[in-house]
Amino acid sequence: MSDETNLATTDDPALLPGTPAERAAESAHGMSAIKSSELPLLPGELRPHPSPFQYVMVAVILCVITALEVGMYYIEKDLPRGLYIGVLLAMAITKFVIVVSWFMHLRVDRPVFRRLFVVGSVGAVLLYTIILLTLHVYE
Amino acid sequence: MAQATLPVPADGTEAPGHDAHGHADTNTGVTHTKLAMWVFLSSECIFFGAFISTYLLYRGRSAKGSLTPAEVYNIPFTSATSFILLMSSLTMVLALAAIQRGDHRRFRVWIIATALFGVTFIGGQIYEFTEFYREGLALKSSVFGSSFFVLTGLHGLHVSVGIMWLLTLWGLSMQNRLHVQNAESVEIAGLYWHFVDIVWIVIFTVIYLIP
Repeated sequence: MSDETNLATTDDPALLPGTPAERAAESAHGMSAIKSSELPLLPGELRPHPSPFQYVMVAVILCVITALEVGMYYIEKDLPRGLYIGVLLAMAITKFVIVVSWFMHLRVDRPVFRRLFVVGSVGAVLLYTIILLTLHVYE
Repeated sequence: MAQATLPVPADGTEAPGHDAHGHADTNTGVTHTKLAMWVFLSSECIFFGAFISTYLLYRGRSAKGSLTPAEVYNIPFTSATSFILLMSSLTMVLALAAIQRGDHRRFRVWIIATALFGVTFIGGQIYEFTEFYREGLALKSSVFGSSFFVLTGLHGLHVSVGIMWLLTLWGLSMQNRLHVQNAESVEIAGLYWHFVDIVWIVIFTVIYLIP
């Protein structure tokens, strides 16, 4: 049985990324001196995580989509109902996929995690859509 | 550029429980904790799906004279709290990036910022619930009130559990008990935190924005 949940007592020097000079530069100037590709992969990962800059860019995209969603709310009466709901759902799904892929790292993890989550999320949507249709919620 | 893999420590042994390619020493090749977290999150999709469906089922079926969603929702306010929760996901991944780099000072800053964003979100939810109650919408006042408060309240409960988890990580770091080789513990906490964020993404659109 692996000792995966025990907390270490000190930083293992062999697991620290970069050179001592890079780490000093990073400590002084932010998380830019050590590239993500220099970091050791966490268990279950196939590729390195995005860089902090990429994370910030992803957050900017999420903010823009959220602003568009809120903007849509104020022009709801000027749009056909089907178009309004369709565009809002498309934006929500886009945000959902972005967070799961980039922040939850499913795009760099082993496929087993992606399959597990797809079963749960898509399964839930299918299950409850069938239930709501059966109960005539959309009529 | 060389592909990064879990390096072999100076004493020549492999990191505990993992081979030199970052694969866990388990039947599945992935750690039990991470696998368990994804199974849990997958089941949580079904859990929240049930409450969102219940809300959709009961919406518009309250007795005449009951408050409607359009009468009580404060979209600008909820948009602001949604934005805060979204930003907490950014600070969470920055905390993970910091611990992976052995930068404990920045890890503590980002993890406490994430917890504070979460506390702000919960504060906003308490304010919103209080306002709704003053306007006459309560848990027992209508099926809309029941389904709304149960759904958003359960989400708030999940956020609160996440805040406690983040504060625990921050406390461990302050005691120098969280190190670079514990990055996976931070990642698993992050998975939970991002999940409550994506649930709110769905709730915000389906419950608040779609009339």
